[in-house]
Amino acid sequence: MSATLLPEDRPADSHKRSHSAETKRYGFFPGCVAKESCKELFNSTMLLADKLGIELIELTAASCCGASVVNDTNRDIARVLNARTYAQAEALGLDDVITICSTCTGHMRAANKELLENEERMTQANSILGKFGAKYNGGVMVRHLLWMLIDDIGLDNLRKMVVRPLNGLKVAPFYGCHIIRPEKVNGWESARNPHSLEDVVAALGGEPVDYAGKTRCCGFHIQLEKDGVATSMVGQNMRMAKDKGAEAVITPCPLCHLALDGYQQDAASRWGRTDLPTFHLPQLVAFALGVPAEKLGLNKHLIDPRSIMVERDLIA
Amino acid sequence: MANIKLDIFRFDEAVDSVPHRDIVAVDVPETMTVLDALETAKAEVDGSISFRRSCRSAICGSCSMNINGVTGLACKTPCNTVMDEQGVIQVDPMPNFQPMRDLVVHMDPFWDKYTRLKPYLQPADKDEDHQTERRVSPEDMKKLVDVANCVMCATCYALCPVVSVDPSFAGPAAIAYAYRFIEDVRDSKREERLAQINEDYLWLCAHCYACSYCPKHVDPNDRIVDVKRATIKDRVMMNERGPRHALIVNKTVKQTGMLAETEVIQGTVGRFNFRGLLKVAPLGLRMAAKGKLPPPFVKPIPKVDEVRTIFDSLEVPVS
Ligand code: SF4
Ligand code: SF4
Ligand code: SF4
Ligand code: SF4
Ligand code: FES
Repeated sequence: MSATLLPEDRPADSHKRSHSAETKRYGFFPGCVAKESCKELFNSTMLLADKLGIELIELTAASCCGASVVNDTNRDIARVLNARTYAQAEALGLDDVITICSTCTGHMRAANKELLENEERMTQANSILGKFGAKYNGGVMVRHLLWMLIDDIGLDNLRKMVVRPLNGLKVAPFYGCHIIRPEKVNGWESARNPHSLEDVVAALGGEPVDYAGKTRCCGFHIQLEKDGVATSMVGQNMRMAKDKGAEAVITPCPLCHLALDGYQQDAASRWGRTDLPTFHLPQLVAFALGVPAEKLGLNKHLIDPRSIMVERDLIA
Repeated sequence: MANIKLDIFRFDEAVDSVPHRDIVAVDVPETMTVLDALETAKAEVDGSISFRRSCRSAICGSCSMNINGVTGLACKTPCNTVMDEQGVIQVDPMPNFQPMRDLVVHMDPFWDKYTRLKPYLQPADKDEDHQTERRVSPEDMKKLVDVANCVMCATCYALCPVVSVDPSFAGPAAIAYAYRFIEDVRDSKREERLAQINEDYLWLCAHCYACSYCPKHVDPNDRIVDVKRATIKDRVMMNERGPRHALIVNKTVKQTGMLAETEVIQGTVGRFNFRGLLKVAPLGLRMAAKGKLPPPFVKPIPKVDEVRTIFDSLEVPVS
C-alpha cells in the first residue's frame, strides 16, 4: 500500500554481479555466533551450499566483525579488523564475501564503505596490515546469503529446485535491523518495505505473513543491559506476527534467532503466549531443497519447530 | 490535480473512549504535501480536524505524524510519494505517545527528557555582564552543527523500539542533544552531563538505526555511539553494564579474534554477581538442555597475533 521508498544514494555494489558468482566460489564469513551457540546455522548453510551447487570457502583466519560493540569503543579497530578479513578473501582470489548474519552484514558493509570511499582510511588500514605482510586492494563486496540467493541463484531457479514445498506454512519474516538499515550502507532493498524474505518463503511454497514487526528490532544487543527490555521487544514483535496468523518465523540473523527463540517464553507474562518456532533462513531453504530434516539441527531450538512441521505434513 | 482521500485517525480524549476513522476527500495537486492536503481538508470539509503545524517547511518540527504507518514530517512528504492507486493516504498520530486529539499527541515525556539535560550552555564563568565573546573554532563547531539542526519533531522518539517498551530510556533526540553540549568546548559540565545521560540509560540503545530516518539528518544513532565513546574515554560510570560489556567484548576479540559469548555474559553481568547470573540462568539452562550453550572457552583464530597487532596499533589505552 505505501509506496516503496528506495534510498536516495544506493550503494554502488547493491546488485553487482561478482566474479565469485560466475565461478560459483564465494568467500564465506560465518561470524562468531554461527560458530558458537548457533552451530545448526553453520551446518545448514554448508548443506544448502551443496544443494545449490556452490562452494563457500570459509575465511577461517577471519576475526569477529566487531559488531556494534568494538565500534562503540573504537571505530578504527573495527574497520581495520574487517580490512584484514577482506585482504584474506582477496589473497584467495575471491571478490565476494557471503555472510549469514544481519549484524555482520551491516557492520562489515559499513567498514568496507568507509575503506572504499576514503583514501586516508584505506592507507591507515594498509599501513597496519603491512606490519604482517597483508594488503587490501578494495576489491571485495560483502553480501548476505539472502541477497546472493535472489541475485545469483534467482527466485525462478529456486522455485524449480524445490522438492519439498512448504505446503502453505504461514511464515513471518523477521529481517533484523542491520541487513536493512541504515539504507545508505545496505540499500539492497527498501528498508521500510522489504520483501526479499517474503519472496523466498513464497518460492519455497510457504505463505509469507505481513506484520508491522518484521523490520523492527529484537533487542539482542541490549539483552544484558537492563532486565526485561529485550524480552519485551521480542514479545511485542512476536505478538504482532501471531495476531496476523503466523505459524513460524524466518530470520537471516542468528542474533535475532537467539533472542526470538530464547525470550518468547519470558515475554509471555506481558504479551501473552506466542511460542512461534523460528527458522534460520538456510534451514528452511535447505529443507525445501531436500536436505533431511534431521540434519538441520531443528532439535537445538528452544521452541521446537518440528510439531508445526508435522501438522503441515512436512515431516512424519 | 488529484482526488486525495485522507484516511484520518479521529479521537478526542475529552469525549471519546475509542478512536474512529474518517475518510475526507480533497482535490489538490498531487505534488502538494500531506500537510497541505490536511490544511485543505480542515478549511474546506471539516474544521474540527486537529493537527499541529507552523512553519510548513520542515523547520518548526510540529507536524510529525504517521503517514501510511511511517513516521515523518507531513510538510516534507509530497502526496504523490505516499498515496495508493485510489489516492488514499492514512494519517495517524505518532506512536510512543498518548493521543490527545486526532493527530495531536501529548508531547510531555519527550520534553521532560529534554529538559533534564539542562539544554543550555553552562560555561565555567558566568559572565553576567556579557562582556566577553565565547569563541569556538570552526573545527570544534563542525561536530555540533548537525545536531544543532534538530527541530525536536520527535520523529526519532516515535520510531524508537526501546522507548516503546521502556519509557525510562532517554530516547534518540535527548542523547543526541546531550552530545551537543558534551562536545561543546565552551561548556563546563561535561562530566555531569555524561553521568546524567548514562543514568538515563544511554546504553539501552539497541543499535537498530530506526532513528536514522530523522528528517533533518541528525543521525541520532551515530551521536549515541559518540556519547558512548566519550563515556569510555572519560571513564565515567565504568562499573555499569554498558561500559563493562564494551570492554569485555574488546578484550575477548583481542585475545581470541572472536567474540567469546560465555566470557562476555559473565564479564557484563559480573562474574560474582550471583543474583544477576541467576537471572540469565533459566535461559541458560533451557539452552543447555538443547546442547545450545556457547563453549566456555573459545579457541583463538589462526594468526590471532595479527588481530593483536591491529589493537596495539590503534588502541587508545583502555584497561
Ligand atoms: S556480528 Fe556478531 S556474529 Fe557476526 S561476526 Fe560480529 S560478533 Fe560475530
Ligand atoms: S533485530 Fe536486533 S539483534 Fe537482530 S540485527 Fe537488529 S539490532 Fe541486531
Ligand atoms: S533528532 Fe531528528 S528526528 Fe529526532 S527530534 Fe531531532 S530532528 Fe526530529
Ligand atoms: S538506534 Fe537506539 S535510539 Fe535509535 S531508534 Fe534504535 S534503539 Fe532507539
Ligand atoms: S510544519 Fe513545521 S516542520 Fe512541518
